[in-house]
Amino acid sequence: MSDKKQSKRSFKNSRVYVVFFALIVALVFSVLITSAATMLKPLHQQNRILDKKTNLLEAANLLPDNEKLTPEKIQTIYDTHIREVHADPRGQILRNATGDSLQLYLIHTDQQVQGYIVPISTRGLWGKIHGYLAFEADGETVAGFSVYSHSETPGLGGEIESQWFQDNFKGKKILNAHNQLVSVNIAKGKSENLPENLQDHYVDGISGATLTGRYLSEGLEETLTQYEPVSIIFRQKKGSQTHLETLLDE
Amino acid sequence: MQNDLSHYKEILVKGIWRENPVAYQVLGICSALAVTVKMSTALVMSIALTLVAGFSGLIISSLRHLIPSNIRIIVELTVIASLVIVTDQILQAYLYDISKQLSIFVGLIITNCIILGRAEAFALANNPADSFVDGIANGLGYSMILMAVAFFRELLGSGQFFGISVIPQFVYDMGFQDMGIMVLAPGAFFIIGLLVWLKNSLPGGISHEKK
Repeated sequence: MSDKKQSKRSFKNSRVYVVFFALIVALVFSVLITSAATMLKPLHQQNRILDKKTNLLEAANLLPDNEKLTPEKIQTIYDTHIREVHADPRGQILRNATGDSLQLYLIHTDQQVQGYIVPISTRGLWGKIHGYLAFEADGETVAGFSVYSHSETPGLGGEIESQWFQDNFKGKKILNAHNQLVSVNIAKGKSENLPENLQDHYVDGISGATLTGRYLSEGLEETLTQYEPVSIIFRQKKGSQTHLETLLDE
Repeated sequence: MQNDLSHYKEILVKGIWRENPVAYQVLGICSALAVTVKMSTALVMSIALTLVAGFSGLIISSLRHLIPSNIRIIVELTVIASLVIVTDQILQAYLYDISKQLSIFVGLIITNCIILGRAEAFALANNPADSFVDGIANGLGYSMILMAVAFFRELLGSGQFFGISVIPQFVYDMGFQDMGIMVLAPGAFFIIGLLVWLKNSLPGGISHEKK
């Protein structure tokens, strides 16, 4: 009896059995994971697209606060107010993407352009931060900011997706008194502690997330430099309302 | 039959109360700190962890005579990780908003000490049904603490209960303020500490055992 047990035990730890067992386990569980991922993929994609649209609307301040909207409602608001366009390197707005064009979203009400949204994609502390920065039609005032994906530390850098941080951006200017691009920066601590001439270009930082703030500042500046030609076009039309189609036809 | 039932009851009481994974064994603290700002995230995390604990116990226990002892941890982790990934996929499909708030913590159930601890300490030595009950019991024990912590944190930190404001306006008018620290991790630490103290000074706690 003990002999039999002994042989069984050694067989269980023999190299052939271990490899065979590991292979079977790996196979069974990879099939399980793959089938779950494949079957749920359409739902994941739907969620991601809806989430993207929700965030665009949030950056543009088109979502009512504290209200749960149905996916259909979000879709309707998106369709009536947001138009995805592209801009060539000289800042001309195009209907369709070309090789070196930049993606861009126009905010409009009854075909009148109210502003535009620039997609932000920058490095963070642990991974990429993706979000949107919305501008008013004057081409220098920030209308809103939202983050839809990041992998910052929850409670620290993760605060970039919280309401207070995002509301922080509203009304900030990306131009200084000499009309030079200074971008929006994340301050260390409160922006109200900075010299007065800088307050318009800095938002309150998150305590304990210095690096996230620094990377986000760098990323914003880089993106805004890239989109500067578009902003210049908007600045030239300062104040005057522009019809969506005329902007697209130019 | 009677015997069977009392046997399961014994396992349940042990997991949920007497040897509660958070309050007695002090396991799974990191996720308890992170996901308890709101009751909704704590609830989803609790359900996910309880199901993973139960089914990983069931599967590992069913395989316990087949698993070669020198690769048993790898096999246990494969089982647990697969279940967690499937859970995460399901959450992303049906509860996208909450899964975004839980962010990396659902994925980190894989390294949650409660699950691997139960697999090593219980599932490898007991039959599948017992292991399933044990996993569920420990999951429920974890859930209980999580929900209690989340209740106090959400109530004191944001004045809400499952996202609905419950503290009436006149209390704020009289000068009450939401306690900011409750939203941060230290708030969770204080509450978990107090709960561990409370649990262990109640009958059946450590201080009574020692006497």
